[in-house]
Amino acid sequence: MDLIKNIHKETPFQTAGPFLHIGCLPNFIGIPGIYKNDIGVDPFPEKKNKDFIKISGSIFDGNEEAVDDVLLETWQCDEDGNYFGLNGFARFVPDKVTKKFSLSTIKPGSVKSFDGKLYSPHISLLISSRGLNMSLNTRIYFDDDDLTNDPLISFIINNNNNDISSLVAKKIDKNDYLFNVFLQGDKETIFFDL
Amino acid sequence: MKNKSLLKRDFNYQPHIYYPNYKSSILRAPHKDKITFPSTISEVSGPVFSKDIIGQNDNNLILNFSKNNKSPIGHKILVYGTVKDQFLKPVKGALIEIWQANASGKYMHPNDKTPTAIDPNFAGCGRYITETNGSYEFFTIQPGPYPYPNRGIEWRPMHIHFSIFGESFGQRLITQMYFEGDPLIKLCPMVNSIPDDKIRKSLISKLDVSRAVSHNILAYKFDIILRGINQTYFENRKEGL
Ligand SMILES: [Fe+2]
Repeated sequence: MDLIKNIHKETPFQTAGPFLHIGCLPNFIGIPGIYKNDIGVDPFPEKKNKDFIKISGSIFDGNEEAVDDVLLETWQCDEDGNYFGLNGFARFVPDKVTKKFSLSTIKPGSVKSFDGKLYSPHISLLISSRGLNMSLNTRIYFDDDDLTNDPLISFIINNNNNDISSLVAKKIDKNDYLFNVFLQGDKETIFFDL
Repeated sequence: MKNKSLLKRDFNYQPHIYYPNYKSSILRAPHKDKITFPSTISEVSGPVFSKDIIGQNDNNLILNFSKNNKSPIGHKILVYGTVKDQFLKPVKGALIEIWQANASGKYMHPNDKTPTAIDPNFAGCGRYITETNGSYEFFTIQPGPYPYPNRGIEWRPMHIHFSIFGESFGQRLITQMYFEGDPLIKLCPMVNSIPDDKIRKSLISKLDVSRAVSHNILAYKFDIILRGINQTYFENRKEGL
C-alpha cells in the first residue's frame, strides 16, 4: 500500500488548440526551414508503396460536420506483428477542402501482447484538436479480418454490449478502406482508456 | 519474460472533456464513457525518435527563425525542466515539441486572425529529445496573452503548448504550460476544465531566478509527469503451482 503513496499524479492534458500545426507539422503549414522534415510523414519509409493499403475517412463533430483542424496520429505494428523503432508511426490532418484524411500504410499483422493473447490486426489512433480538452484514443480494425477472438473486441461485446462497428474500417476496394470517426451523437465512436 | 503495463489514468485529475464554458468542447466532446481495458503491447510500445532528427537550433526559438541575425521582439526566457513518469523515473529520449504565440500574442498560422503583428523573426516552434536524466531546455520569447472568441471575447493567459512522446504510445501527453503570477490563469475556462486545484497548479511554471542564464534572460521551470510503466517479471509455471 505504501507503494501507492509513491505514485505521483500525471500532468493533466490541455487542448492542443487550433494552431497545433506550428509545433507538429511546421513544414506542412508553411513554416519551412526549421525542421528538415515533419515527423510521421511516412510510417514505413523502407517498404514499397505497392504493398500499401489506403485508409481514408473524416472526423465528424456533433453537427455531423467534417472537421479539418484535427491532428491524427497512428501507431501500428508491421505485417509480422512487430513494433519497432519509428516504423509504424504516422501523423496527418484532413484535407482543407475535402475534409478527408488519407493514410497509406501497410496492413498490420496480428499481434501477441505480453499476456500471450493474440489481437486481430489493428492501428491505434489518437485524435487531438481544438475543443478536445484531452486527446482521444481509438482503434482501427479491419472488416476482412476475424475479430471474434480479439480480447478487446470480445470484452466490449461481452461487458458493454456496444456495437463495435465504429472500430472497424470497411473495405471499399482492393486495398482501400473507409474509416469515419464520430465525436458525438448516435453514431459516436468508441473511445478507449487503455 | 517481462510483462509491462501502464498505470491506469486517473480521470479525477484530468480536464472534463465536455466543458461548456469552453465553447468548442460542446460539439466535439464525446458523451459516452470511455471503455477501460488493461493496456496491451500496442499502448506500451511507442515510436522511438532518434536525436539525429534534431537540428542545432531546434530548441532555440530565439534563433531558429531569425533572419540576418535579427532578434525577435520580446523578452528572452529559458524554459526548462524534466520529464519523469509517475514513479519519478526519468524518461530519457522523450520527444518534446512546443508551439506558442509571439510577444504580441500572435501565432504564425494562417488561421490566426488576431489583429496583432506577426514577428518575421519568430515562428514559435521548437523541439527537444530529453537527456538521460529526463531534462530538457528551450530558449524562447515570452509569449503574449491573446483574445479569442469563446463566451464573447475572452483572453488566454500566456502559455506554451507542449506535446510529449514518452517511451509508450499510451504515455502520449498534450498540454499547456502557464507562467507564475499571470492573473488570467484563474479566469481561463481551459485551465478550469481541470477539476482539481492542486493539479491545475502543476501546469504553472515557476520563475527560477537562480537559473537565469544572464541578466537578460529569465528562467522558468516546468516539470512533466507521464503515466507510469509497471514492469513485472514472471516465469512460465505449470498451472496449479
Ligand atoms: Fe494557444
